[in-house]
Amino acid sequence: MADKHSPSAGILATLAWRNLWRNYRRTLIMLTAIVVGVWAMILFSAMMRGMLDEMVQAGLRVLPGEVQVHHPDYQDDPSVVNSMSAPKGKLLQVLNTPPVTAWTTRLKVPGMISSERDNRGVLLLGVDPAGEIALGFDPGDIVQGRFLESADDKGIVIGRKLAERLETRLGKRVVIMSQNPYNDVADRGVRIVGIYRARLQATEELFVYTSRALLQKMLEVEDEISEVAITADNYEHVDAWWRDIDAAAGPDLDTQPWTVLDAYLGSMYEIQGTMNVIIMVIIFIALSFGLVNTLVMAVFERVREIGLMMALGMRPQWIMYQVLLESLMLLSLGLVIGNALATATVLPLESGIDISVVGDGLEMYGMGATLYPTLALEDMLMSTLIVLVLGLLASLIPAWRASRYNPVEALTKT
Amino acid sequence: MFRITSVITLIVLSWQTVAQPEPRELIEKAMDHWRGLTSYTEMTLIIHRPKWERSMSMQSWTQGAEQSLVRVTAPVKDAGNGTLLKDKNMWTYAPKINRVIKIPSSMMNQSWMGSDLSNNDISKSTDIIDQYDHTLLETKEVEGHTVYVIQSIPHEDAAVVWGKEIHSIRDDYVMLEEQFWDQDGVLVKTFSASDIKEFDGRSVAAIMRMQEVDKPGQWTEMRVDDTHFDIDLPANLFTLSSLRNPRR
Repeated sequence: MADKHSPSAGILATLAWRNLWRNYRRTLIMLTAIVVGVWAMILFSAMMRGMLDEMVQAGLRVLPGEVQVHHPDYQDDPSVVNSMSAPKGKLLQVLNTPPVTAWTTRLKVPGMISSERDNRGVLLLGVDPAGEIALGFDPGDIVQGRFLESADDKGIVIGRKLAERLETRLGKRVVIMSQNPYNDVADRGVRIVGIYRARLQATEELFVYTSRALLQKMLEVEDEISEVAITADNYEHVDAWWRDIDAAAGPDLDTQPWTVLDAYLGSMYEIQGTMNVIIMVIIFIALSFGLVNTLVMAVFERVREIGLMMALGMRPQWIMYQVLLESLMLLSLGLVIGNALATATVLPLESGIDISVVGDGLEMYGMGATLYPTLALEDMLMSTLIVLVLGLLASLIPAWRASRYNPVEALTKT
Repeated sequence: MFRITSVITLIVLSWQTVAQPEPRELIEKAMDHWRGLTSYTEMTLIIHRPKWERSMSMQSWTQGAEQSLVRVTAPVKDAGNGTLLKDKNMWTYAPKINRVIKIPSSMMNQSWMGSDLSNNDISKSTDIIDQYDHTLLETKEVEGHTVYVIQSIPHEDAAVVWGKEIHSIRDDYVMLEEQFWDQDGVLVKTFSASDIKEFDGRSVAAIMRMQEVDKPGQWTEMRVDDTHFDIDLPANLFTLSSLRNPRR
């Protein structure tokens, strides 16, 4: 303490603490409001984080490759005309050095698949099976039959839902059809050798896997590919290395990271932090009305007492400190209990909440039927910071009013 | 004695070869028969559904296996709509929008003019015959004609979804029936001919009906009103400009 007449912090703290519990019922109600508010903030951000992480990861798992190289026109018109030759030279060299852990090439064109009963528009993927598995295709997702085995496998692997829609099944022949670079119909019959499942039905209906060689032959494009898909273990750090690939691919090819390729996922990933803060602030604003009201009441009840303290020589700023300290104690207590409660709620839920009841609607956003809330220290710290800073700011009004009383007037107030 | 038996065997053998013609050739001839070198046909397309039925009159010209032109003449609402097939490519023209559209592969499985025939059914040409293994199942006598029943099983990589097709062809090369079976051995649809008449010196089925087995109230019929074979066609008939501007 700078001033020798200042009361010790201990006395201020004692005063604040005792004042807090003079009307314990009111304090408990306010405390409950803070606890519930903090709990809601953390629970909400945990859910949100879980949802978005899941969405981004699942989105990236669908057709893996955080960084992809295409013909410059491929994104606008994914036709076989906009294909390129397999990577060579400098690009090949970069692809085979860390941080790249795996890469593969795909021929990817829109096409039709038909059975005796029905036909559907799909995305035909001519893949190298070994490369696809290295990149992240899980052979455990094959529910019937097998995945493609070699780069010139004669079979086709389709999704569970697509098989259902086409009223076909494992071991039957279907016809795939697309357009070759000369704008002529290219088609052939293929036998279904495997059926895969995916987290989203839309995926199961869209992607049809064939071997790259088979699709190249059907479309009459020798060694042409549509994309190079590249992965390095952590998708979050993609910005660190994708420009190296871009430089090696040269100006004639388009290299893009997943945040650009899937702009929806990319922006989701970016806004998740901001969104949490906004929600926290909204919850807090509702809370702050209660907080200010409580403190105003507490100050109003003690006008004479404050006048007496001032008459005895207490400085206005100490009165202010005391009210602020009271608020700080209330907020801290609420934060500790709120955080503890939120942790106790979220931790058991981290194994997943079944939301399949509303699963169909959520699928539209690319979400699965299970929600995995994720407790992040970052979110807990953020909510604590918001509550403390904004709480003290809100308390400034009653505290300032308390310090502005005229001792004589305050003492005579009845 | 030995000589006589061998002669008899020879006769029997040669008789068999005469009676059992090459099934692939039969189908090819049946297709050629229906089409001729060139042909001009006036027909009515009837699309029948459980609750409604509509009919369209059309003219069609064909030349060889690769070129054909179809144009709707009535009702007025549809008049002028046309389809041109040339070397495996297909275009349609709709006067209402004044556009010629090339049918992309993604639309080949869609219905042709709202009928039960797909664009694919219309455009499949004779070369598809090479993508099947044909066997003669049986030969029977119907109304004084010999009818050959041929089973065609598509090759592994043929662009055909069916498990097998069964063709019934009369000895004068009239295709009586074409059955489409799925890969589980269930009959899916039949394209059958009836009312066989003489047109321009050839026996031609005047009515051809496409019928799906599990949709009994729904079928498409092509009724031939008049047809002429091996006529002279103008050289510019099978072109995009003639699809757009009928000049005859």
